[in-house]
Amino acid sequence: MAVKSEKKILGMERETFRQFMGKYGVSLIMVVMIIAIAIYNHRFISGTNLLNVVTQVSINGMLAFGMCLCITIGGIDLTVGAQLALVGVIMGQTITNSGMPIALGVLIGVAVATLFGFINGFLIAKFNMFPFVVTLSMQLVIRGAAQVISGGRAITFGQDVKNLYYGKLLGIPYPIIALVVVFILMYIMFHWTKLGRYILAVGGNANAAVASGVSEVKIRIICHTISGFLAGIAAVIMAAKTGTGQSNIGVSYETDAVAAAVIGGTSFAGGIATMPGVLIGILIVGFIYNGITMIGIDANWQSIIRGLVIIATVMLDNAINGRNRK
Amino acid sequence: MKKVLAVLMAATMVFSLAACGGGSGDETTAAQTTAAADDGADDTAAADDGAAGDFVADVNGDGKIIVGYISKNLTDPFHGPINASAEEKIEQLKTDGIIDDWTGVLDGNTDGPTQIDRAQDCISQGCDYVIILPAEAEASDPAVVQLAEAGIHVIVVNSKTNSTDDLAMLYSGSDDVQAGEIMGNYIIEQCPDGGKYVHCNGILGNSAQIQRTEGIKNTLGADSKFEMVADEDTQWKGDLAANAATNAMAQYGEELVAIVCDNDDMSSAAQTACNSAGRTDIVCIGVDGNETPLQMIKDGELGATVYQNGVGQLGAAIDAMVETIENNAAPAEKEIMVDFVLVTSENVDEYLK
Repeated sequence: MAVKSEKKILGMERETFRQFMGKYGVSLIMVVMIIAIAIYNHRFISGTNLLNVVTQVSINGMLAFGMCLCITIGGIDLTVGAQLALVGVIMGQTITNSGMPIALGVLIGVAVATLFGFINGFLIAKFNMFPFVVTLSMQLVIRGAAQVISGGRAITFGQDVKNLYYGKLLGIPYPIIALVVVFILMYIMFHWTKLGRYILAVGGNANAAVASGVSEVKIRIICHTISGFLAGIAAVIMAAKTGTGQSNIGVSYETDAVAAAVIGGTSFAGGIATMPGVLIGILIVGFIYNGITMIGIDANWQSIIRGLVIIATVMLDNAINGRNRK
Repeated sequence: MKKVLAVLMAATMVFSLAACGGGSGDETTAAQTTAAADDGADDTAAADDGAAGDFVADVNGDGKIIVGYISKNLTDPFHGPINASAEEKIEQLKTDGIIDDWTGVLDGNTDGPTQIDRAQDCISQGCDYVIILPAEAEASDPAVVQLAEAGIHVIVVNSKTNSTDDLAMLYSGSDDVQAGEIMGNYIIEQCPDGGKYVHCNGILGNSAQIQRTEGIKNTLGADSKFEMVADEDTQWKGDLAANAATNAMAQYGEELVAIVCDNDDMSSAAQTACNSAGRTDIVCIGVDGNETPLQMIKDGELGATVYQNGVGQLGAAIDAMVETIENNAAPAEKEIMVDFVLVTSENVDEYLK
């Protein structure tokens, strides 16, 4: 790597090409995937279908951005699925059962999710506990809280809450707007501000980061709090989508969020991630779900195919870019 | 300081564990000794409920009737009311002096192994009757087997495990094939011209999923006017069913006439997606009778749902149990079948509480 090669690939300097692939390689995989499915079923690339997919990935998208932060600092957040259930039933109790305005119910729900995110981060950072252990246990606490609040019953939402998912602004569904706004904010925070560089620093080498004056505790708490907040937003979208708040929803939703983050190039070793990468990862997971239906794969095989495609995507990404990111 | 604290905490935990363990341990040994003594005395095999005449309600001979209740889970809206009803009815039996004690609602966590653990807890607590709502036909079966081997009268409610027919004292449930057929017939009636439909599955391999699917195949599948265009792995999840609905509407447009779902968490979410896209004409139907779909029927947003009378299944089982205790005789029937009911706007008020 020390000697710069003069060879050119696609009219680019070799080094430039490598950097390009390192950043955008995963989007090429996505494009190939889209073309492959579209050849099979041309309806796949119709405007309505693409719009549907982007709307559908909004829930997982929120979770994945938060998950990406937690993985980047060398941790994980396993509470997100349970947060979906908790915020849903809180919204049910406040909006449907107590007649509070929607905005207030949403605010309370998201605030509680954010608080739980903060608690996760606090336990992990202050007491130096493993994120896996803390969030695994908190998952039980949060789902338990949802059970207590709902008594195991479902709470129905009216059309005005459902409109938060199905409503549109200038033809664009609200969830897409939420996803875009969150993406832009996350991009600015992660790539343009000091906070983003600190997160990468703590994830890359915590000791070095601390030595250069970064507060590791603060960064870890911030990352988990953001993850909790985003899980709260995801829960609002989920409640609006299904029209019901109940304590059994959101089981194993962590899986797709982790998949999206990892496909997007987030490294479990910590310290490596990009927000555009995660966005592509989120879309790829959505296209996998949607594509499987479009191709018409038998229900019994869908789960296997999903798992294999995720592994193949990550392998392919590593093969193209493994060296380029270093 | 920290070390002292750690040692203290460890000591407390060990002590409390020993205390709890010791209690149930004593009971087990006591129960086993009495059971052994019984066996020696009159040489009757308590495990066999089949043979008439030797039915004993108090299987471990401790002079008390103790009832165990192993739920499927505490989180499904379908199981919430059943558990609440169990709490009320069994507590009432205790107040009335028909039984001496019960375990309270034990959490099965929708998991076979967890239910096996809870079954063992029931054995060590000296239960004479155990009511269980199995999570899985196969994975929960050892719970039924172990309870029966311990001589306990097992009452299986809602869905069968593999050896339920051989070992359980009683089964109270509904025929899920019937539920599938009711859904299929409803769609055939609502869409006389036929068309394309989507099937949203429950978790694959679950007995309710298999049998409801069979019922759908018997009706919609046998009707040449209908064509299944997607068979979705939606895992009982409403949001996945909503995705399936939007995808199918985009793909088939006006040709899509119905979405048939293995439960009504999914059908209510699918109908919400259809209605929001202005396609109130699409017929979505599912099984269970949870609060949200019932409320939607009342509000005119959903056409129908198939009500599974879980509370009724449990009630019938408890009534039969009480009969065996009072008569000290085996139940008259080994299987109680509770019908599914089609709920529409006409009768929704009976079921929405």
